[in-house]
Amino acid sequence: MSIGTSEMSAPDAARRKAGLRARLAPWLLMAPALLIAVAFFGLPIAFMARMSFNEHIDQRFYVPGFTFDNYAAMLTDQTFRGALFTTMRLALISSVVTVVIGYAFAMLVWLKPKRWRLAFIALALCPLLISEISIIFGWWMFFPKNGLLSYALVSSGLITDKISLMYTEFAAFVGLTYVTLPFCFFILLSIFDGIDKKVLEASADLGSAPLRTFYEVLLPLTKGGIAAAFAQSFIWAVGTYATPSALGPDTLWTIGYLIQEQMLGKHNWPRAAAFSIVLTIGVALVMVIVRALTSKRTALNG
Amino acid sequence: MADMNALELDSVRRAYGGVVAVDNVSIDVKRGEFVTLLGPSGSGKTSTLRLIGGFERPDAGAIRINGIRIDHLPAYQRDTTTIFQSGALFPHKTVAENVAYGLRMRGVAKADIAPRVKQALEVVRLSGYEQRYPAQLSGGQKQRVALARAMVVRPAILLFDEPLSALDLSLRLQLRAEIKRLHEEIGFSAIYVTHDQGEAMAMSSRIAVMRGGRIEQIDRPEKVFGEPANEFVYTFIGESCCLKARIVAGGAADSDGEPIDLRLSNPPGDGAWRLYIRPSRMHLGRADMPNGLKARLDFTEFLGDVHRYHFKAAKLELFVDHPGAVAHRPGDLVDIGWQTADMIAYQ
Repeated sequence: MSIGTSEMSAPDAARRKAGLRARLAPWLLMAPALLIAVAFFGLPIAFMARMSFNEHIDQRFYVPGFTFDNYAAMLTDQTFRGALFTTMRLALISSVVTVVIGYAFAMLVWLKPKRWRLAFIALALCPLLISEISIIFGWWMFFPKNGLLSYALVSSGLITDKISLMYTEFAAFVGLTYVTLPFCFFILLSIFDGIDKKVLEASADLGSAPLRTFYEVLLPLTKGGIAAAFAQSFIWAVGTYATPSALGPDTLWTIGYLIQEQMLGKHNWPRAAAFSIVLTIGVALVMVIVRALTSKRTALNG
Repeated sequence: MADMNALELDSVRRAYGGVVAVDNVSIDVKRGEFVTLLGPSGSGKTSTLRLIGGFERPDAGAIRINGIRIDHLPAYQRDTTTIFQSGALFPHKTVAENVAYGLRMRGVAKADIAPRVKQALEVVRLSGYEQRYPAQLSGGQKQRVALARAMVVRPAILLFDEPLSALDLSLRLQLRAEIKRLHEEIGFSAIYVTHDQGEAMAMSSRIAVMRGGRIEQIDRPEKVFGEPANEFVYTFIGESCCLKARIVAGGAADSDGEPIDLRLSNPPGDGAWRLYIRPSRMHLGRADMPNGLKARLDFTEFLGDVHRYHFKAAKLELFVDHPGAVAHRPGDLVDIGWQTADMIAYQ
């Protein structure tokens, strides 16, 4: 009798066990990555979110508590609102410029014969090999009155008097664009590489002039890449603080700069944390919007 | 003029660096004619097609469509459309949008586009697939869309760039028959590039066999098969066995000098020869035919309709196709016979 029942239930038990395993498998497979993400990204952000509700008194970094003051302050703080506007403008313009340059560059590499490819990619990798600080030092030799740019312009006869572009918004834009360009380039190149070049010939074959082909075929096929490259560049430009404050004018106050000031200058950790949380949410919103605008198309193209 | 050629290539030449890809090629395609460029890879057939389509410019020579010279025009101003090997459908456009593309680019009135797209999809038997995206189609369906997209604009000449070579065999045969049917129904003019001689034979009004950028022979399929212009055409079209033999008065030997038992009723003369016979034209156990060779059976392959018998005579290797099995076993010495007209000799 006992043998009989065990014979009956054995397949059932095995099936149940297999079902459980099938349900658990994806989670188990994700576990290492999930663990790292939670430990290194989730926890610090949670900690920062908690910090942003703490109180601040002089001589102390923070006092444990729960207040919305730090967020309320942002609504009334002219400096913060100005910085928010400046940051968005800076990030928006530099990202658009970066995407345009990166797009043209990636398209060139895609269209050119294979033998050029490695050289172009090496060129694009160069900025990534140097730290942001070293790059800033480089610009310090490039933009000032006795810098390379001024020297080149004067000796080529384009201008007569030496000029300095150091500590201008232009310098800040150039600096930001330079840092974000390689990322944009590689994102866009990977998108271009996924396109069958024959579609360009097919378009021409069916009677479409080059510009029309760009508009009808290439642009729609690279839309997702443009959005991804823009998002990447925008996030970097919004969050970075060293480049715009080192190259831009003293009045160029970005949110990154304000956070740094609150954190290191005024030792107001809760306020700095609140700024950071708002910045993080803003960036996340941009990501969500960009994804929402592009996901339908990319899903269909596979 | 009714008898004007749809397409004329006049001594067209194109070199890449030092390599001449298309060498003095002249072809006339009459209205409604289906001309195939057949050749191994690197023979210049695809380069020739790209010159016609406008993706490359010739270094010399003239290309005329309906009598008007067009070799200076870019692809988008030529009245040609191509069916690419990969299909090259626009992945972000639906089937209907793909087919409508050429009509839109040619400024066809909006009201006329929809019915023409509908009709083109009916012709390639894809009605009801209008709203699908290329990623949702099978390989054969994609090529049908490509065909509809190219045909719908009614170009002066359709260019086929190995459109079937990426498909599996049964689909290839099926689409081949459909293209043939469409050609007979609609009567479009076409240049068809392929390395598949079966495709070329089945579909073409005429075949141009190419090698090294040159046309070796251009003629009707039966002529190219039955009366090849030279050794290359003979060996490229259809299967053949080659006997490399040294013939001296009264005897024959293989190219290494070992004697072979070869009997020719009309020997081509003394010297080293390459004798070709189609494997289906050789007969087993026939010592009574005008020409013959004694050879040892090596092994047998079963090919479905026929058995293929592989023989060795000294260093020579040859195979004979025979319907049904024979009683010979490997190692047996067998008489192989053939008619004089079925043999062709090159020196």
